[in-house]
Amino acid sequence: MFEHSENVIERIVAHLRRPVQIDPAVDSRVMEEIAGGPTPRVSGGASAAWHWLTRPRHIALSPLGGLAIAAGLGALVLILPGRRPHEAPPAETATRAFQFVVVAPRAARVALVGDFNDWDAARTPMRPSQRGGPVWTAVVPLSPGRYRYAFLVDGSRWLADPAAPAARDDEFGTPSSVVTVGGS
Amino acid sequence: MHLLRTTSTSLLGATLIATAAAAQDQRLDRLDPSVRPLVASVIDSARAAGLPTEPLVQRALEGATKGAPGEVIVGAVQRLVADLGEARSALGPGTTPPELAAGAAALRAGAGPAVLAKLRRARSQTITVPLAVLADLVASGVPVDSAAAAVLALASTTRDADLVEFRRAVERDIALGAPPGMAVSTAASAAYGAQGLQLDAGARQSRPSRP
Repeated sequence: MFEHSENVIERIVAHLRRPVQIDPAVDSRVMEEIAGGPTPRVSGGASAAWHWLTRPRHIALSPLGGLAIAAGLGALVLILPGRRPHEAPPAETATRAFQFVVVAPRAARVALVGDFNDWDAARTPMRPSQRGGPVWTAVVPLSPGRYRYAFLVDGSRWLADPAAPAARDDEFGTPSSVVTVGGS
Repeated sequence: MHLLRTTSTSLLGATLIATAAAAQDQRLDRLDPSVRPLVASVIDSARAAGLPTEPLVQRALEGATKGAPGEVIVGAVQRLVADLGEARSALGPGTTPPELAAGAAALRAGAGPAVLAKLRRARSQTITVPLAVLADLVASGVPVDSAAAAVLALASTTRDADLVEFRRAVERDIALGAPPGMAVSTAASAAYGAQGLQLDAGARQSRPSRP
C-alpha cells in the first residue's frame, strides 16, 4: 500500500517537472499590450508632476465652505455668456436680412414701419432704387417670428405690401401686411 | 410694535407699486395721456398673467402711429391679450412668445384651439411659422378647414422655409385665378412630393429675402 503511494507521488512529481510548452508569440503579444496600455510614458520632471497630479488626497471641507464653492460654481454658470439655462433655442434667435420693396411714384419720402421698429416712422426710411425713381427699398434684420408692417408715404398715406399677406387682424382702419420669418 | 411693522409693510408695498408704475415702458409715452394709463394697466395685467407684453406694446404703438382713437387702441390691446391667453391655453405653458403671437393671429383668423393643439403635437420644432402660415392662408381666402388640414399634413416634416414657400405658391395660384381651396391642395401636394428634392434650400438664407 505504501509502495503504491510512493509510485503515484513519483509520477506526479515527474509530470510536474516536465517543461511547459509556451506559445513563442506570447512574449511579443504581452509587450504590445503593455506598449498600447493607458499608462502614460513620462519621465523626469513630467513623471513627478504626473504622480503629484494623480496621487489621491484627503481634503477637509466644512459645510460652509462646500456651500460657498457650490454657490460660486452656480454663479459662474449663470454669468457665462451663452450658457443661460432658459435661453431661447438658436432657431428662435438667429436673424435674417429681409428686403422690403414698394413702388411709390411721385413720393418724396417713404418710411417702413412695423413691429420690428416700434412703428416709428423716423427709424427706417426707405431708399429710392434710382434717383427720383418709383421703387423704394429697405433691408431690415429680423429674428424668427411674425411681424406686422406697412409703408408710410410722405408721412400721411399708408400702403400695404402688395407682395405680402395682408394682416387680417387690422383694427385701425389702414392696411398692414405680415412677414413671417422662419428658423429652419 | 405691531402697528409700526404693519405701517412699514404698507409703505414698502406702496413704494413697490409706485416703482412698478414709474418703470412703465417709455415707448408708451407716444400714446395720448388719456389712453396711456389704460393701455399700461392692460399690459401690466398681461404681464402678471405671464403673457408676453411686447406684442401688446407694438399693437398700441401701431394704433398711435396710425392715429387711431384711444378707445380703439385700448380695445385692440385687450383683444390681443385675450387671444394670447387662448393661444397659451391651447399650446401649453412652455410656448415661446413668437409662438404665442402667431397662435393668437391664427385664432383671430378663425382657426380653432384644437388645431393649435394638434400642431403642437405634430411638430417637435417651434411652430411659429406653421401657425403664421395658417393665419396667412386664411387671410388669403383659403377656408379654415382646408388651410388647417394642409398645414397639419406638412408641419411634421417640412422646414420653415418650405412652409413659407408653400404659402407663396398658394397665394400665387389664387392671384392667377385658382379657387383658394384648390390652390392649397395643389400646393400641398407639390410641397409634400418635393421634399426629397430640396438639396440646397439653405443657400437662400444668405440673401435678403422678400416677405
